Amino acid sequence: MTTIHQWRWFFAWQDDKEEQWLREMALAGWHFRDVSPFGKYTFEQGAPRNDVYRLDFFRRDMNKAEYLQLFQDAGWAYVGELSRWQYFRKTVADDLDPAASDLPDIFSDNESKAAKYRRILLILVALLPIYLNAIITIARQQNSATSVYSIVMIVFLFFYTYAIIRLIMRVRQLTKKL
Amino acid sequence: MNAAINKYLPLSETTAYILLALSEPLHGYAIMQKVERISEGSVSLGPGTLYGAFTTLEKEKLITKVGETDRRKTYALTEKGRAVIKEHIARVQILAKNGAFTQQW
Repeated sequence: MTTIHQWRWFFAWQDDKEEQWLREMALAGWHFRDVSPFGKYTFEQGAPRNDVYRLDFFRRDMNKAEYLQLFQDAGWAYVGELSRWQYFRKTVADDLDPAASDLPDIFSDNESKAAKYRRILLILVALLPIYLNAIITIARQQNSATSVYSIVMIVFLFFYTYAIIRLIMRVRQLTKKL
Repeated sequence: MNAAINKYLPLSETTAYILLALSEPLHGYAIMQKVERISEGSVSLGPGTLYGAFTTLEKEKLITKVGETDRRKTYALTEKGRAVIKEHIARVQILAKNGAFTQQW
């Protein structure tokens, strides 16, 4: 069984791009096996398959066994996880070449899609005070080593804020109502 | 009692169909299939959507777990859940009556 590795990085708001990429790999005969926290994806070679990949972000206080059973009943294969990210796969009937919007999805309405991004936001926002506190504590001790470190932390903080904004924008886009 | 019900209204289509499907106690996938059938294919619940709905509806005490077999939990409507879907349908019926003329378009 031929295995290859690919290194890619997807931010939380780019999960749709990740889903699309995994699908393209499957259509080319490379099937997702595993993903590591550093963006290393493992693929196994096989026949090209018309597969759809979908990602969910799980809440830790939920019942995982019941959750996975429901997905399985609905025809979604559980193919991996990375922290709270859950990877599911379904094969589309081969004679169909649906438009992206017609591909099977694990979410059937925008509200539940938005809820996924809100779950991520909750974690980011909860961690923010910790980072702020670390920056302030380190910035107080003034020597050259710590000032480099606090610059790095401030850059990280800007990016962190950018991530939060992107996720909020995604939630708003999905929950626009008439 | 009315305020406690009205704050949930109007329900989303997803929630309305889930509560309607629970006119009998059912587990997750059975609800999915029933909703597909009774909505005449217009509503196809995704597992991510359905699981999230279970969590919310249970927290709001509109549904409750009544059993479990093989990692599939069976849910049923609570009294509050019944009142909510009943009121929602009553409202929707008035709306549908008002909108009947659009069928001529």
